[in-house]
Amino acid sequence: MAEASAPAIATRQPRFVILRWLKLRPGAAHALPVIAFLLIGFAAPLAWVIMFSFMPERSFSLLNEPTLDNYVTIFSGTTYRSFLWSLGLAAVTVILLALICYPIAYGLTRVFGRWSTLLTLLFTIPLFVSENVRLYGWILFFIKNGVMLGTLKSLFGYEGETWLFTEGMIVLGMVYVYMPFMLFPMTLGVSMVPNETRDAAFDLGASRWQVFKEVDLPLAMPGIVIGFLLSFVLAVGALVEAKVLGGQRVIPIVHEIELAFTYAQNWPLGAALAVLLMLVVGTLVMLVLRRFDLDTILGRR
Amino acid sequence: MDCTQEGPVSRGMNTRTPVIELRQITKSFGSFTAVHTIDLVIGEGEFFTIVGPSGSGKTTVLRMLAGLETPTSGDILLRGKRINDVPANRRPTCMVFQSLALFPHRTVGENIEFPLKIRDVSKADRKARALQLMEQLRLPADYYGKNVTKCSGGERQRVALARALAYNPDILFFDEPLSAIDYKLRKTLEKELKDIHRETGKTFIYITHSLEEAMVMSDRIGVMRQGRLVQVGTPNEIYTAPNSKFVSEFIGDVNIIPVAINGTGKLHSAELGAEFTSPPIPAGFRSGHLVVRPESIRIVERSDSAENRLSGRLYNEYALGSRIQYQVRVGEQVFIVERLRQQAFQGGIDSEVQIGWNARDSILVGD
Amino acid sequence: MAGATTSGAAGSKRWRTALLWAWVLSVVAFMYMPALSLLLASSTSSRYFIFPITRWGFDWWEKTFNSIEIHILFKTSISIALCVTVIAVVIAFFGALAFARYDWKGRSLFQKIVLLPIFFPQSVLGLALLLWFNAMGIPLSWKSTVFAHLVWIVPVVTLVISIQVYSFDPALEEAAFDLGATRWQVLREVTLPVLFPGLFSGALFAFLLSWGNFPLSLFTTGADTTLPEYLYAKMIAGYTPGVPVLGTVSTMMAAILLLGGYGLIVLRRRARLK
Repeated sequence: MAEASAPAIATRQPRFVILRWLKLRPGAAHALPVIAFLLIGFAAPLAWVIMFSFMPERSFSLLNEPTLDNYVTIFSGTTYRSFLWSLGLAAVTVILLALICYPIAYGLTRVFGRWSTLLTLLFTIPLFVSENVRLYGWILFFIKNGVMLGTLKSLFGYEGETWLFTEGMIVLGMVYVYMPFMLFPMTLGVSMVPNETRDAAFDLGASRWQVFKEVDLPLAMPGIVIGFLLSFVLAVGALVEAKVLGGQRVIPIVHEIELAFTYAQNWPLGAALAVLLMLVVGTLVMLVLRRFDLDTILGRR
Repeated sequence: MDCTQEGPVSRGMNTRTPVIELRQITKSFGSFTAVHTIDLVIGEGEFFTIVGPSGSGKTTVLRMLAGLETPTSGDILLRGKRINDVPANRRPTCMVFQSLALFPHRTVGENIEFPLKIRDVSKADRKARALQLMEQLRLPADYYGKNVTKCSGGERQRVALARALAYNPDILFFDEPLSAIDYKLRKTLEKELKDIHRETGKTFIYITHSLEEAMVMSDRIGVMRQGRLVQVGTPNEIYTAPNSKFVSEFIGDVNIIPVAINGTGKLHSAELGAEFTSPPIPAGFRSGHLVVRPESIRIVERSDSAENRLSGRLYNEYALGSRIQYQVRVGEQVFIVERLRQQAFQGGIDSEVQIGWNARDSILVGD
Repeated sequence: MAGATTSGAAGSKRWRTALLWAWVLSVVAFMYMPALSLLLASSTSSRYFIFPITRWGFDWWEKTFNSIEIHILFKTSISIALCVTVIAVVIAFFGALAFARYDWKGRSLFQKIVLLPIFFPQSVLGLALLLWFNAMGIPLSWKSTVFAHLVWIVPVVTLVISIQVYSFDPALEEAAFDLGATRWQVLREVTLPVLFPGLFSGALFAFLLSWGNFPLSLFTTGADTTLPEYLYAKMIAGYTPGVPVLGTVSTMMAAILLLGGYGLIVLRRRARLK
């Protein structure tokens, strides 16, 4: 058999100039499509919103004299209550989620073994069904003559009032919708605690509680913090929960923004509210993310 | 394939045609200079090993030779032709990576055939060549369809080497491929690699941080430190005539005594308060280190005569298989002394001993 | 004595395991309670939902699936999801390489910028895009919705693929290149096949997230309507059993795609490891 031989060296390669240019900065070259896309699809629209927030009330073009009126209106009015509602509901949601999710995260990494994958999938599936449809399922569950009250009535003859359209229902909806966003980062965090480290701590005489406090919690912290951040930020931007399950008793900030844009036809006011929300969310995200090296959390080094 | 030892001054290049040549090669990454003006000529069919601690720039040199990095300045010549700008896929060279870089989605056979497939060799020829290489590398033929991730460490080494040989390069590079392998298997594979080198007659350029590994296989060794090539020579030259404290320390356990020339023109150690007779002192030498290998120092018993002597206390002893190593404390310094097991020292730990060596067994080096 | 403590520890461990299982199963039940309610509500023949159901039947399923309006909705939603999937995977593939494969100067910043849209309230993003399309004179249709979905989905898919890229040994590409492959051959023979599981899950995520999205669609579809939008409109307009039917279909579709996709990955891995 004739042995295929390595290619003889060929020195002049016209295409090579381009390849070398790419080789010099391959990372930046690969990032280019995403960056370009986000510039057009994310940065530019947000810049537009920011500019609109400085336009006079009820104007629909950017050609007017810039003004701070919208911000003055917001701070002198009662809109701040929507902000407080959103932040408060998000805070309650996040605390409940942490309590609910930690045992599950622990179980998924250490106890459930081969069932973990299936359980993870089960927690993932609802993510892909539109929020309002899923919340509508809760309405059917809680409504008078619905799944819960209907069952109680037929089995025990108990006739209760519906719990729908209360603040508690909004929290339930938010806990329900944002569960995966707390659970998955938290699981990632808990799985970063090496078993040997826990064993070593036990072996050195630590109690179960001390192991949790001194080993589990600090080592799982990156994942836990990301979970807190993600679910809190998303919950601050929540809208449908209050609309569908809360019966509009509470107007969260995003609802306020939507009303300004649609019902009130006051784009500049809506834009100003959106800018304030962006400031809160953006600062929080950047503050937290700055402290983390994403590479260590997502799996490299 | 003439690998005989040459004279002590020789660079081992007398009998070989140069195949690869580095001229004033420098490589910088931003403000960090990884490789500093290296000059080196490697001969046809040579087994050349570059040794150095991690971060010494040895991998960068290899990656430039393979075409995976471009030198910042200087030239790389292949048989006299400048190849700086020739990319890796157009060089007649091939690398065995530290991680081996076997394609996890392919079988053993498909991995070995990869370079042939790239060159559109027919399926039947590919398979024939792969099986032939597998036989040469002692891989069972029924491994052909085996998933490569299911192979053991040693088998994976052989697959990686077979894949590189299938490319049929003139020069093979090895980037510490044996570093993750346990000691015993590593020793076997080192010898196999040397056999393959003999059988193929190709030029091998190998990188390792273990001088011991380099000694076993190489025709010549280059020692690197902080981006510079500090010594090049045959294993024997490196071992018997290291040119610096760094190189002598790199070989393994060694006794190093800081010395300076005193008023009478003799070598003197301030710490030990002793004078030594030594090999000829080079002109202009003022201070440096006296290097004595553990097997050249002995525990002096009865009428034994040694040109240099020190009194100390036996601190501990370690059995190293065929040899026994003793630690002897002289003042603040600990000396390492080795003996064959049959000639074990009979005095116990903590006994007072005299150690000694002859001037011709010591080496004088700079800093 | 020693035996007693061991069995005591084992006993308490068993208790903890049982407790954890009870907890996770009740949370799973909680997660699926709405889906179950939807399924129940869709399986009645009556016009109104009263539980316990007296007249079981699938009349509403038939009615819903015979409606031409619903066919158009499905067509719109699937077209959007397919376009989003293809474009998102291509852009995110390169993005993920920049995110996790290469070391470059702006990488850490790039990683954070990519994450930003994921953290952003989608309704506000939808409104911002509405303003932007309006300002650029872009007519609203399902095509503008594809763009809107991409703004949120490209970062998610980048993240999903990145997780696979992190476990990718860059030396594989170098080895192939060194063995004579051209850049294109390296991509086709090594990079793409090795990263395939990541690309596949990325595509799955892209499709499903687009399929279920409401807040971004709401402001950007113009005259076209997606399934979640239609359901929302019907929900506020008053009760019709068509909503639970379509809700159940959505949930089942997500479950089938996800479980099926996961099954495919497992089968492929098994076949390879034989």
